Amino acid sequence: MSEKELVARAQAGDFDAFSALVTANKTKIYALAVKMTGNSEDADDVVQDTLVKANDNIEHFRGESSFGTWLYSIALNQTRALLSKKKQTDLKPIEEYLPSQPSQSLDEHSNSKLFDWKDPHTALEDQELKEIIDRELAALPYKYREAFLLKYYEELPIKEIAKIINESVASTKSRVLRARLALRERLAEIFKEQYG
Amino acid sequence: MGKKCREYMGEINDYLDGELDPTICDEIENHIGQCENCRIMVDTLKQTVVLCREGKREALPAALEEKLTGLLRERWNKKFGK
Ligand SMILES: [Zn+2]
Repeated sequence: MSEKELVARAQAGDFDAFSALVTANKTKIYALAVKMTGNSEDADDVVQDTLVKANDNIEHFRGESSFGTWLYSIALNQTRALLSKKKQTDLKPIEEYLPSQPSQSLDEHSNSKLFDWKDPHTALEDQELKEIIDRELAALPYKYREAFLLKYYEELPIKEIAKIINESVASTKSRVLRARLALRERLAEIFKEQYG
Repeated sequence: MGKKCREYMGEINDYLDGELDPTICDEIENHIGQCENCRIMVDTLKQTVVLCREGKREALPAALEEKLTGLLRERWNKKFGK
């Protein structure tokens, strides 16, 4: 049965059709929620609230996006609501991720050269590395984190991400880039400390 | 870091994700060949995404799965007056 047919049946009250739509999407919603919240308890809440919202609002789904995209939007709204209780800082502008101009500096140890971290697997255990990544991802302000994860973890096209987070394509792209730069910078600091 | 490096920064993601005009790609590649910092920037930005994609995806816990099935059916029946 196509997704369209399942949606029509669900909207007419067929629980099995709704269940099939949920089953097709719940695992990826959960995996994203874990990455977004950084812990499984919060992810449980996000998934539950998302599916309850989908249940309660199924008649409002107009099929303008896929059912999965609709669930992503709900899940990210739930995550936002949950995380908005925590303080969010903003990321710096793109150009500030570059090292400062080296020419004026006579200090050879200035921060003008980036740390080339090569392959961190050679210096760190897999588990240790995973914890670093998850922690630093969770530390990104959520509007950047969601854009980054939808792009590189869910591998969605920018246009679809823009729809999900309700932003322009340009601003979505900029968020993805700033998140990537900020994460890279944090990892560089950490890896330099560990084995630089 | 020079003016060129700064200019390329805004396009670096499109470059890395293969969504950039080939002429500008060539320009950037040429620059990377001569600019150590931009080379490191590109390599480590690539690694950043690779590292984030590593590891298996978290599976839905069985307890949550069970809880959800009951909860959703109950709400559904209430909603559709069954
Ligand atoms: Zn450069």
